[in-house]
Amino acid sequence: MQNILTVDKIEKYYGNKGNVTKAIDNISFSVNKGEFLGIMGPSGSGKTTLLNCISTVDSITTGKITINEKDITKLKAKSLEKFRRDELGFIFQDFNLLDMLTAYENIALALTIQKRGAKEIDRLINEVAAKLGIEAILSQYPFQLSGGQKQRVACARAMVTEPSLILADEPTGALDSTSSRLLLDSFEKLNQEDQSTIIMVTHDSFTASYTNRILFIKDGRVFNELVRGNDTRKEFFNKIIEVVTLLGGDVSNVL
Amino acid sequence: MFSKLALNNVKRSFKNYSIYFLTLTLAICVFYSFNSLEDQNVMLGMNQNEDFILNMSYFTIGMSIFVSFVLGWLIIYANNFLIKKRKKELGIYISLGMSKGKISRILILETLVIGFLSLVAGILLGIIVSQGMAVVTANILSAELQDFKFVVSMGAIGKTAVYFGIIYALVMLFNQVTISKYKLIDLLNAAKKNEEVKVKNPFVSVLLFLVAVTLLMISYSIFLTHGLAADRVQLSVVALFGGLGTLLYFFSLSNFFIQILQKNKRFYLKDINLFVLRQINNKVNTNFLSMAVISLLLFLTVTFLFIAFNVKGIIDQNAEERSSFDVSGYIYADGDIASPEMANIAGYLEAIDFEFDESERYAFYSEYKLDASPEELFTGYLSEEEKMDLEEGFMFNSIVKLSDYNSIRELAGQKPIDLREDELFIISDSGHVEGALAEYHQGEEPFILNGVAYSIQNRSPVKENIAIPRTGDFLYFVVPDHAVENMQLESTGFNVIYDEADPEESEEKFSALFVDFEEEKYSDFLPLSVSGQTWKQHLDRKNAPAAIAVFLGLFLGLIFIITSAAVLALQQLSDASDSLERYKSLKKIGVTEKLINSAIWKQTFIYFLLPLSLAVIHTAVGIYAIRELLNINFQTILTGTLLVAVIYGGYFYATYLGVKNIVRNSN
Repeated sequence: MQNILTVDKIEKYYGNKGNVTKAIDNISFSVNKGEFLGIMGPSGSGKTTLLNCISTVDSITTGKITINEKDITKLKAKSLEKFRRDELGFIFQDFNLLDMLTAYENIALALTIQKRGAKEIDRLINEVAAKLGIEAILSQYPFQLSGGQKQRVACARAMVTEPSLILADEPTGALDSTSSRLLLDSFEKLNQEDQSTIIMVTHDSFTASYTNRILFIKDGRVFNELVRGNDTRKEFFNKIIEVVTLLGGDVSNVL
Repeated sequence: MFSKLALNNVKRSFKNYSIYFLTLTLAICVFYSFNSLEDQNVMLGMNQNEDFILNMSYFTIGMSIFVSFVLGWLIIYANNFLIKKRKKELGIYISLGMSKGKISRILILETLVIGFLSLVAGILLGIIVSQGMAVVTANILSAELQDFKFVVSMGAIGKTAVYFGIIYALVMLFNQVTISKYKLIDLLNAAKKNEEVKVKNPFVSVLLFLVAVTLLMISYSIFLTHGLAADRVQLSVVALFGGLGTLLYFFSLSNFFIQILQKNKRFYLKDINLFVLRQINNKVNTNFLSMAVISLLLFLTVTFLFIAFNVKGIIDQNAEERSSFDVSGYIYADGDIASPEMANIAGYLEAIDFEFDESERYAFYSEYKLDASPEELFTGYLSEEEKMDLEEGFMFNSIVKLSDYNSIRELAGQKPIDLREDELFIISDSGHVEGALAEYHQGEEPFILNGVAYSIQNRSPVKENIAIPRTGDFLYFVVPDHAVENMQLESTGFNVIYDEADPEESEEKFSALFVDFEEEKYSDFLPLSVSGQTWKQHLDRKNAPAAIAVFLGLFLGLIFIITSAAVLALQQLSDASDSLERYKSLKKIGVTEKLINSAIWKQTFIYFLLPLSLAVIHTAVGIYAIRELLNINFQTILTGTLLVAVIYGGYFYATYLGVKNIVRNSN
């Protein structure tokens, strides 16, 4: 199986001498093509920092991150921008759709900055829209859409460039349960049918139960790892709940 | 505590809203400079020309009031922008338990500090700039800058402080009203709220755009066919259609173009063009009213500046004229007067104990009446049209005897002329006279003047006046001395040339003399009054209306352009903060810094260009329509364009940098 992401003994420190906070403290793992990885952990555990480091938004202090056989810690600012544009797709909690553009144009933007041709753009958007079931709303503006629809448009924007890796930061954080379910179904479908590689940060156990594998992080370290294997989602969900209880005993982080 | 908060806010405002401060300072600077002109004039030694000074004072008072309205509106507008941007901050104050009264006090304190600082900075800058203005004034009026002094006009400082004090007081009042209306929840959520996106019907937009263009075309074509000769109805149609067309143009422009550009997929789906276009579309749609107003203001600015520089060109041409004499005075002989020697200028000057200095060279002369009008005299040599023209126009005409004329020529340093017994000599600057003279020399007929037949000696008239010219054309006949014996005296006069070594003393003496005459100082014991002028007075008088036009053009032009550029800049900057989330989103989906910067550049550029481009078209049409009234030269256009480009371009670039900084510092 092709290896997409390797995280090798990375550390991330904040602050200066005498007052150092280790946001990430020696984390290593790797992700293969077609995997759907979940990252869970309580607030302040370093999961968003980890995602930021993988997404090249933030730099690490020591260690090595390799995506698609490229060492991203050694890339210069310009190649970083290019790398982010071509190899990564992002989905955010607050959608980050541009309010004055239609859904179609929002998705198109991800392609126009890659300098794709107009015809190709049109074809790709129609394809991805069909997959995510958003053909009917393409000409609408974000303010005319529901939260779930917005997130699926954002998802389409992340997918349409066919990136090596899709990074989702709390994608269901702002959605109600029905919309969440619809979105996660889409994720599952994309993952299984298109072999898309997805890394999703969440602290919601139900959301996490859609993944193949979950890394639990606490205080900047990998605390536990759960692999779904052949479990049903129900079984996997129960296992997650157990670990979460163990992780902090903090009920507020579970729900 | 509160003052500390207020001071810190001001410090921050300097960084973030330097454009606001810059605008205030510039406005105060221009305001002070123009109001200090009266004192500058005194400095330049133009106090002899009281008409001019008086006109200038009225003009500056009137303009000050008008301009303070424009500036007051600008400052309140700018201030509202700042308050809007600070909603969240104000919300935090309230949620911390600060009463609205206390917040008001902070804002008042802030306004006071900013007001005071900008006033000081503006006046200091104004004092420097006004020295430059003095040089320009001197240049325009062709005055000499011999005793240049650094002048600080206390009157202008006081006036500026009072006018802007009132404006600041209004700003404070507006702030109070604004704050009392806000609700806490709106203040705290201000940053999150997105602008509502209005979707307009594309068909209506296209239709409205076509209507706008049609209105403008009608307005242009009426003005181009009739120019200023258009009657009142036509002019009001031009103004109404022009204004309405401009408004509709900006109302529909961006929607119209986005409709068209969207069709061109290759352009629309290139880089982040669709983002840039939508941003501009959004902004122009919300701000179409102020855009239309700004476009019209810019139109006025460019027109004013253009005319100002054009008039300046005319003044320069006047200044190049040279006179043979430094002073000319004359007195009309009144037939009824008791003592004939008083009716003679030499006798008159003696009576008031006026004496010429030894260094001053002078010559007296007499003028005699013609018994017919010029068109009658030349009747055989003129077409009907030319006769009509002469009849309508005003032309000084008289007869001068040869010895008087030769002494005038001698004074001017020219050789005397000779005349036979039956010859006369013609002096005139009239084209019709020149034509008639040529016609006369074609034939054999004698020329009849006051009943005597003469032959005319010169083939074309001498164009040099026998005195400093009064308004209007002139026609003088020089005849042999004995011919005037029975003629009726019209007036007597004198010409003076100063000593080249020390002209100032004489200039002062004669200009004071003429001011005395104007004020009728001697009218108690002498019924007649001497009229006259020094060459300098003549030039000043001739240039005064033009100079006022130049000042009017420059002053209003500068104020208008500062106002419009500042409003555009403020709109862009406030839009940048409102659009921060959008830029953040762009960055997150992988748009490069370079692309974002170029998007900002394009947006700002187009936003500044839109109102200017229509204004330039308006101006071009307007100027073209009245081109015959102006003597357009390339330099005029260049100077005006350069001035507009520097100020407007400066604002554009500062705005671009400001927006870029806001976007860059956001993460």
